[in-house]
Amino acid sequence: MSATAEAPPMRIIGHPQPRIEGRLKVTGAAHYAADHHLPGMLYAVPVGATIAKGTIAAIDARVAEQMPGVRAVLRRGSFPALAAAKPDFASVADLEGTVYVDERRPPFDDDTVRYYGQYVALAVADTLEQAKAAADAVRVTYRAEAPEVDPALTAGEMTVKSERGDPDAAFAAAPVTVDQRYGMATETHNPIELHATIAAWEGDSLTVHEATQGVVNHRNVLAAMFGIPREKVQVISRYLGSGFGGKLFPWTHSPLAAAASRQLGRPVKLVLSRPMMFHAVGQRPAITQRIRLGAERDGRLTSLRHDYVNATSLLDDYEENCGEATPHMYATPNLRVASGLAKRSIGTPTSMRGPGAVPGLYALESAMDELAIALDMDPVALRLKNEPPLDQGLGLPFSSRHFQECLTLGAERFGWARRDRRIGSMARDGLTLGWGMAACSWLAERFPCSARVELRADGTARVAAAVQDIGTGTYTIMAQMVAEALAIPLSRVEVALGDTSLPAGPVSGGSMMSASLVAPIQAAITRAGEALVALAAGNPAAPFAGAKAGALRFAEGRVAAAEGNRQAVPFDQLLRALGQEAVSGLGRAEGTFPPKEKPTHSKHSFGAHFVEVTWQPELARLRVSRVVSVIDAGRILNPLAARNQIEGSIVMGVGMALFEETDYDPRSGAPVNASLADYVVATNADAPAMEVHFIEYPDTHLNALGARGVGEIGLAGTAAAIMNAVYHATGIRVRDLPVKLEQLLG
Amino acid sequence: MPDPHSEVQAAVTLRVNGAEHTLSIDPRTTLLDLLRETLHLTGTKKGCDHGQCGACTIHVNGRRVNACLALAVAHDRDEIRTIEGLAEGDRLHPMQAAFLQKDAYQCGYCTAGQIMSAVALLDEPCGPEDADVRELMSGNICRCGAYANIVAAIQQVRGS
Repeated sequence: MSATAEAPPMRIIGHPQPRIEGRLKVTGAAHYAADHHLPGMLYAVPVGATIAKGTIAAIDARVAEQMPGVRAVLRRGSFPALAAAKPDFASVADLEGTVYVDERRPPFDDDTVRYYGQYVALAVADTLEQAKAAADAVRVTYRAEAPEVDPALTAGEMTVKSERGDPDAAFAAAPVTVDQRYGMATETHNPIELHATIAAWEGDSLTVHEATQGVVNHRNVLAAMFGIPREKVQVISRYLGSGFGGKLFPWTHSPLAAAASRQLGRPVKLVLSRPMMFHAVGQRPAITQRIRLGAERDGRLTSLRHDYVNATSLLDDYEENCGEATPHMYATPNLRVASGLAKRSIGTPTSMRGPGAVPGLYALESAMDELAIALDMDPVALRLKNEPPLDQGLGLPFSSRHFQECLTLGAERFGWARRDRRIGSMARDGLTLGWGMAACSWLAERFPCSARVELRADGTARVAAAVQDIGTGTYTIMAQMVAEALAIPLSRVEVALGDTSLPAGPVSGGSMMSASLVAPIQAAITRAGEALVALAAGNPAAPFAGAKAGALRFAEGRVAAAEGNRQAVPFDQLLRALGQEAVSGLGRAEGTFPPKEKPTHSKHSFGAHFVEVTWQPELARLRVSRVVSVIDAGRILNPLAARNQIEGSIVMGVGMALFEETDYDPRSGAPVNASLADYVVATNADAPAMEVHFIEYPDTHLNALGARGVGEIGLAGTAAAIMNAVYHATGIRVRDLPVKLEQLLG
Repeated sequence: MPDPHSEVQAAVTLRVNGAEHTLSIDPRTTLLDLLRETLHLTGTKKGCDHGQCGACTIHVNGRRVNACLALAVAHDRDEIRTIEGLAEGDRLHPMQAAFLQKDAYQCGYCTAGQIMSAVALLDEPCGPEDADVRELMSGNICRCGAYANIVAAIQQVRGS
């Protein structure tokens, strides 16, 4: 190949790329946490409390302990007490030092039961069947108390989160107002992969295969709980059967498995059952929200108040940040957002896909629809009318906001102009149609992150970081970044992730992973290039013999002399000439979240969903038939995976609107529908026809590639758009999710 | 009632992906746990253990079955195929190739079950429309929601 020939244009970033790990996934060769087998491994099965509040009176494990293969029935006092990791959410901005848990009480810490399913014992046996039988044979007696399970959520005090102007006076003076409450049931993440831990000690070192969205944080929490140095703990999560936030932070089964392993001197495997997935691994809590809107007759918002209360556990103050998007979504001079907590006898809630903004925008976008109706105004026009010139909550310009284009393009693609505003007026094939729309928004930030890139003499490169691919496509995006920068085919890039022995990376949360990886990978490539240039300069074996390092340039995977017309030499050719196997560089970049200093811009993604539902009143059959979504999330790095993310969120939004609800028995506090038969999620037959458009305005305020992240925004606003369509079809405004058919039968 | 302290073992011979395994097993063992924990064929996944999610779908004598609902001892001499037995050497089954090409997954955890269901569907009475495929694939939950691409992958194979 002539070195002077133009390199073929690289079609890597921004072009659809099948997943590089796809072959492993379609052949069953990708090993998830529970797929690992270690010699001498024992099986552990937890025993969960069958009351939601009270104390343990006695644990009788005599029968269980005598059963075949049973090694131990562990309970409080069976092993040295674990330390409580001191959780600090701000620490997630500390790349190496992040220590965060949602449920801060270590397992078996006391005899108090605070929620149904709290682990009270752990059966460990040679086989899974033996461990299950032993767990079933453990007899626990309790002094039960009446649990706090009141579904009506009221908070003792409210905390103001954002405020401007005088929203009360403006609301009182507004000619048109909306004042409504919106409820959302508890949602449980239910990734299909069950939470799993395989823990093994070797001397004083602990290795854990864990289903986690954050290996570094998980390592640090385990180190803190066992009181050992972080260097003594390795956490591995190479493939994750998704998490949706439920696997962001460690839950109590993980230290339990590690404690059992230490106690028994053998590797221990602990996989939760599906019912346990409803108990002690978090959920999006039940939420009640009140939205008050005041507007002029022309649609201009004059007042916006958003009050929300979420359920949390007795010990932990988890706040669902429902007002995240409210201050910047629309222009209004007067606004107040306030939040409160209601303590309940439930497991500690946690982030679930789009925490805060997703439920918050369900309420706000439902209320905006109600305002449009009160104004006799088109809901798209109402939103266009209230476009803010800047983020009025932060007083900062938007880094890139093209919300109005999302609205107009979405309306055009959906055929919104053909909408007849009258209730139940549209029909097709004997079905009543409902058309609704809603807006979405999600934050765009970066976590701190590091990465190592190695350039090899065989023409391949390796990129490594202790990040995770939770199904969003991180493996492929890392490979794309390296392939594009080095001008080599994607197939020549090896990616290593999901292991704390690699350079530290952040949790996979907040749709921030891609944005967080850009700068450290670029820096790592630059450092590797510098190392290559330093080797080449002055080396008599090299094509650049005699050149000074400063006179050589590394770009697009090639080294060239800054002056003169000597040919650029690809890194692999140069490495071979130098007799070197490889060079590598380590890159690191700081994050923007949580912010350490005042930012210069408000960074958010935006979008709009347009939804069609069909309604058959004679059968009480409600279906979501068609969705058009336009998403403004900066540059899209892999359109194939990005579209999949948005479509998957829309499917989850169908579940949120129509199906998903964790039911707590008001007497026992038990989640009574703790199975995938009774907690209904959207199936293939429930998925609507979907059309997703990305309007790509690169947002270089966040990273050089201009990408913002697409993992969560698609879920925001979807349920509101569906419910707005349901109203259009039926004339019934349901303000509690999920909608129940009896509500629509009037 | 059996004595919980006794250790009962049962003999069973299974043909898995063409290989014969004669085993002495705990009679409580499900086909799923036997595949995963004894034979270390971990491509088949556990999602619910109650036949509600489809992640453990395998073929028993050519038909799709939830391995979590099948007791291993009840399948003596049955012909079992798992995701590991679908490709021919390095050559992917057309359904595997289509899933890869269409991005018919995200996290990949339900994928083995989806593919085994989809391959079985090819021999079942299924109408030609996307809606027909959706209905027959609704026993396999994909919580990531990659349903549109799953249907596209299946229809591509059916059309070829």
